[in-house]
Amino acid sequence: MSLALPVDEAAQVSAAAPPLFELRGISKEFPGVKALDDVSFAVWPGEVHMLLGENGAGKSSLMKVLCGAYRADAGEFFYKGEKVAIHSSADAQRLGIAVIFQEFSLVPFLDIAQNIFLGREPAGFIPGSVDRRKLLADAKRVLDMIGFDIDPTVTVDKLGVAQQQMVEIAKAISQNARILVMDEPTAALSDHETELLFALIKRLKAEGVAIIYISHRMAEVFSMGDRITVLRDGRRIGELRPGEASPDQLVRMIVGRSVDMSYPRNFAATPGKVLLEVKGLSASTGIADIDLVVREGEIVGLCGLVGSGRSEVVRAIFGADKIMSGEIVFDGRAISGGPDEAARRGLALIPESRKSEGLALLRSVGDNLVVSALARLFPAGLFDPRRAQRVADGLVQQLRIATPTTKQAVGLLSGGNQQKVVIGKWLAAGAKLFIFDEPTRGIDVGAKSEIFALIDRLVTKGAAALMISSEQAEICHVCDRAYVMREGRIVGELSRSELTEENIVRLGMHHE
Amino acid sequence: MSDATVALSIRSLGRIPGVAVMLALLLVIFSAVAPGFLSAANIANVLVQSTILMMLSLPMTLIIMTEGLDLSMGAVLTLTSLVVAIVSLATGSMLLGLAAAVLVGAAFGTVNGWLVAVLGIPPFVATLGTLGIAQGLSLIVSDGQSVVGIPRSVSEVYSATLAGVPMPIVLALLCYLVFHGLLYHTRFGTYVFALGGNREALKYAGRSPTRLLIAVYALGGATVGVAGLMMTARMNSGHPTAGLGLEFDAIAAVAVGGTSFERGNGWLPGTVLGVIAVGILRNGLNLMALPSSIQVASVGFLVIFALFVDGLRGRS
Repeated sequence: MSLALPVDEAAQVSAAAPPLFELRGISKEFPGVKALDDVSFAVWPGEVHMLLGENGAGKSSLMKVLCGAYRADAGEFFYKGEKVAIHSSADAQRLGIAVIFQEFSLVPFLDIAQNIFLGREPAGFIPGSVDRRKLLADAKRVLDMIGFDIDPTVTVDKLGVAQQQMVEIAKAISQNARILVMDEPTAALSDHETELLFALIKRLKAEGVAIIYISHRMAEVFSMGDRITVLRDGRRIGELRPGEASPDQLVRMIVGRSVDMSYPRNFAATPGKVLLEVKGLSASTGIADIDLVVREGEIVGLCGLVGSGRSEVVRAIFGADKIMSGEIVFDGRAISGGPDEAARRGLALIPESRKSEGLALLRSVGDNLVVSALARLFPAGLFDPRRAQRVADGLVQQLRIATPTTKQAVGLLSGGNQQKVVIGKWLAAGAKLFIFDEPTRGIDVGAKSEIFALIDRLVTKGAAALMISSEQAEICHVCDRAYVMREGRIVGELSRSELTEENIVRLGMHHE
Repeated sequence: MSDATVALSIRSLGRIPGVAVMLALLLVIFSAVAPGFLSAANIANVLVQSTILMMLSLPMTLIIMTEGLDLSMGAVLTLTSLVVAIVSLATGSMLLGLAAAVLVGAAFGTVNGWLVAVLGIPPFVATLGTLGIAQGLSLIVSDGQSVVGIPRSVSEVYSATLAGVPMPIVLALLCYLVFHGLLYHTRFGTYVFALGGNREALKYAGRSPTRLLIAVYALGGATVGVAGLMMTARMNSGHPTAGLGLEFDAIAAVAVGGTSFERGNGWLPGTVLGVIAVGILRNGLNLMALPSSIQVASVGFLVIFALFVDGLRGRS
């Protein structure tokens, strides 16, 4: 018999020590949404704890509770076994919690040393002055500690993303952070930079720092994680060790199947002619070699994680971003003249942020409904209020927009009805292909089914729809087909029969 | 020379900032075409005349670095200049005049900062409002007339010399040193960079952007108060339109000097060069006996050309 402990027993010994930091039963509610529901979570020194979940699973909310940006409605925090409170970012800082957000908190035209010690500058002889020599020496020491070999007098605007991340980490370490929270730290890094980051993480682990690491990439979850927690719909689905599950099992945990939806749809047996065909589309916004087809009578989904390039694809199709190569054929003819031509030819882009991009909130329902159709309705350039009124009334009826009158300001309508006004606006303009970017974001469940029923009616009348949604369940319910994107490319097409949440997640996540 | 070679030669100038190139060009051109430009007396004259603009442009640099703007500077300069004249006339004391002017200037600056930082009014609109108020007050306190007969102790501020150097240059130099120290060697200066560069970072660092922003505008107002003394000393009187439109030259000097209107990218030495460039341009055109309307237009061209040169360099 060997004297060494079996592996899982060793793990139990380390787990028996109290965690460095622990959350118990954390809940956080926003009007209409339970962002976190009784979530418990612990980190041990020298461990990387991976946090997984779909968009909206509650990861960001958990981070914000940890760093004091949100206050939890219920639950307790324990630091080294002792109960503590986190009411503000100062509380979190005192406990040694530092968050490295994707949006960096660096000042571009200050140098590295000034950024690391922003707000904590060593005082010089003259009141208010900074002891520059000590500042640089301190910065050098912190940079050495994390193994980042750079001159601390270089201004941050000259650094690349990876180097900026290093400065962020140096800043956290200089505050004696013992718990480091990283939100998708490799999202913007090259392979080489990722390796450097992983080396740094290993070094920090060796020094007893605990790391909470949010990731979408299966490979790094398994190679870097000591513990994995999966969140879904604000709840903790499970905690496990990398060896205890295969990537497929993990995907199933992430997806779950707790969705109930009630918008029945009649799937067209045979779709009509090709309405939109995209061939080899690339744009400077980071998308490449996009091929896709939308036929009349179809609802086609475009899925993938946030940041995978979905919005960029529809923006390029609509002409809102310049394309570098490729071809877009709409209704039999190439399209290349920017948003004006796209709108004239019958393409409608219904953006995610309706409030900022789709509607004039202070203007009336009627004005908003006819604004895109002015040229079509009044070719002579003279506005006829009665004709506009008739068109608006017709649309309000057809789309069942719940508004007292067409004079009502759009901003006073509910999210679902605002969405209908946007659709009506394009309908009036004679749109044939509707491109939706997150059509149900910020809309309650009842209104969602109405929106989908409406889209269904549009396509049965010969129109077509291309729909981006982060809610895979929605895609699965309403789409005839779906394309899945990852890192700017389409990585798969799923037919009606293959269209399951698991398949979408499997394709959409980094999975080598 | 083709466009490409122009661009190439500008690019090959490497790290030399656009404003230095501009200054050199102006010197060469005016030496050739403006009679008497290159004399020692004229150069000294340009420098002395640039001092008031310098005292507006230094705080303007800091304000622009916070992604702000102070359009009220010219009008507040007029008002503080009148305050110096009136108070020194009444009390016979230059120092009391200066103190009153600094107080009035700082009060306007504080109001500007409060409107911008607390009420969230865009700086352009907020300071346009205080511009009107300061201009109106100037007309009221002066009754639309020049204030004359001020004590000699005031005018000596402009005419005296220190070890042979004209007093205005000594004061402007002092003012520069103070601002340089403040911006590059104090916590306050560090936070000015952060105000424009990343306000969130300041909050995370536990510093209040609101209070800092008010301080930046207040500092600007107080400095304009000092400039008010110089203005009154220079004209040996207070005049209700003395500072009219000077904010335009100040903003131009800052922009020419390479300070960006975004992300807190400021450069104080560049502002000095920008001030001198504006001063040389106006002086040279003056010597060529061109009307002042052409001078105003030429400052506009200077700004656009300087930004164009920096744009070319930025792309290289």
